[in-house]
Amino acid sequence: MFKKYSEVLKLYFKVQMMYRFDIIVNIAFGISKIVLAYVLWGAIFEQRDTVAGFTFDGMMTYYIISSFILQLDQSTATAEQIASEIREGQFSKYIIKPINSFMYFTSKTAGVSVFMLIFNIIATLVWLLVFKVNIQLTESIYVIFAGVGMCLLGLLFMMQLNFFIGILAFKFIDTWLFIMIKDNLVQFLTGAFIPLAILPTSILNVLRFSPFYYTSYLPSMLFVGQNLNEIGAGVIVLLAWNTIFWIINKLTYSQLKFQYEGVGV
Amino acid sequence: MRLIMTMRFTYMLFKMKLSRNMAFRFSFFGVFFVDGTMFLVQLLMFNYIYAHVETIGGWSREQMLFFIGTFSLINALNMMLCFFGVISIPEKIRSGKLDLYITKPVNTLFYLSFENIDIGSLPLVLASGCILGYSISGMVIQFTAFKILGYIVLVLTMLVLHYDIMVIIRTITFFVIRATGLERLEGELITLCMKIPGILFKGGFKILFYLLLPYGIMATIPTQFFFEAMSLSGFVYAIAITFIFTCFTLWFFRLGIKNYKSASS
Repeated sequence: MFKKYSEVLKLYFKVQMMYRFDIIVNIAFGISKIVLAYVLWGAIFEQRDTVAGFTFDGMMTYYIISSFILQLDQSTATAEQIASEIREGQFSKYIIKPINSFMYFTSKTAGVSVFMLIFNIIATLVWLLVFKVNIQLTESIYVIFAGVGMCLLGLLFMMQLNFFIGILAFKFIDTWLFIMIKDNLVQFLTGAFIPLAILPTSILNVLRFSPFYYTSYLPSMLFVGQNLNEIGAGVIVLLAWNTIFWIINKLTYSQLKFQYEGVGV
Repeated sequence: MRLIMTMRFTYMLFKMKLSRNMAFRFSFFGVFFVDGTMFLVQLLMFNYIYAHVETIGGWSREQMLFFIGTFSLINALNMMLCFFGVISIPEKIRSGKLDLYITKPVNTLFYLSFENIDIGSLPLVLASGCILGYSISGMVIQFTAFKILGYIVLVLTMLVLHYDIMVIIRTITFFVIRATGLERLEGELITLCMKIPGILFKGGFKILFYLLLPYGIMATIPTQFFFEAMSLSGFVYAIAITFIFTCFTLWFFRLGIKNYKSASS
């Protein structure tokens, strides 16, 4: 059953080979977040040694790792593709074929992410050298496995969220609005701009019930050897949100696909 | 006579665009929602950082809010007046649609820039005013006509500079097939400079963001002027660099037009 989806994954992995220059450019642009951290936090750490428990090296390590994880999430492009294909009537090919459209797009996104992983590792090593960061990583294999597992669950959740936004194109003409607003909010909620540890405890306690806390912030913290007591809660919350969105997507897709007009078919 | 004709022409473009926008009411305030969430996230980010530090690069929380409000204002005015017109230039060059513009008895760059005035961005201008008002309310500051007038002149000057850089990047399409990488780079750099006041840049970053791609001065210089943290030379520098960039933009665009090969005819 899963063979056809693993073929999709392999196919899109190979397709990325053709666009390797684009991929390298995309990864190079990931430096902007690290430059932001370097300049902003560099100025702040001129006046003090620690902020919210972070040293300057700890802060830079956090940004480099979280940037690495966030670059693996390629599901926003998939949301844009789904919306565009629905609008242009090209989505029919997924309806008439004996495939589960969510599984197809997840496999496709996974193929791109696996390819990104290779270049991302190289880019991360380059950033570490360029910014002369004394990286502080955990040595516990258990924690590294937990972090990797949480990243995978987080990526699956982001895929589910973006699939949901993509299929909203069955009902709305312009879904770019949803995608861009989602991107702005998600960047803050996942800790891409600032580590969530900086936020007040009351807000952190609320965020712990959201999936975004666990998609890149907690895995990044685990990799630097912090917040180890939150592993169990993280896995449970992510599993719960993945289940909720799986049901939402199933219901939404089965309801909205009847509104599909198949322009040009 | 020529001024009256230009104003009438601009009014006609505005009326046509407004009637087109009304057909897609849901997207009408799209820019407001997208950019509104972006600046809201930025306000939150600095609000939480300032909970841990008193100043960043010598700037207080209120000065930082004023900086964000100023960038938001420049961005909103740009979105309202010319953003959607300028970003469509590369596509018009590639597809040959530029033929329709260069054969009209009106300045080509003017027509291209202002044909997509977006009134939906107006609330963002008002929201920026609210951010500025809120930041000033937290300070004891003396208002003078010179200060307010100087600030307005600098904001308008920086708006022209922003426009110039946008046009220069899109004009490159006359000479190469595709310059999407440069357009993405522009997006990344401007987002970076929205989050970091220019005063924090040092060394190579300062040369890059103050001279070569002067995004770093756009909101920084008006803010410094308002808080009397800038000498006359800073004011002169802002005017001079905008003048140089404007002259280059007009020359470069004319050169581009001469090089235009028209894809359709």
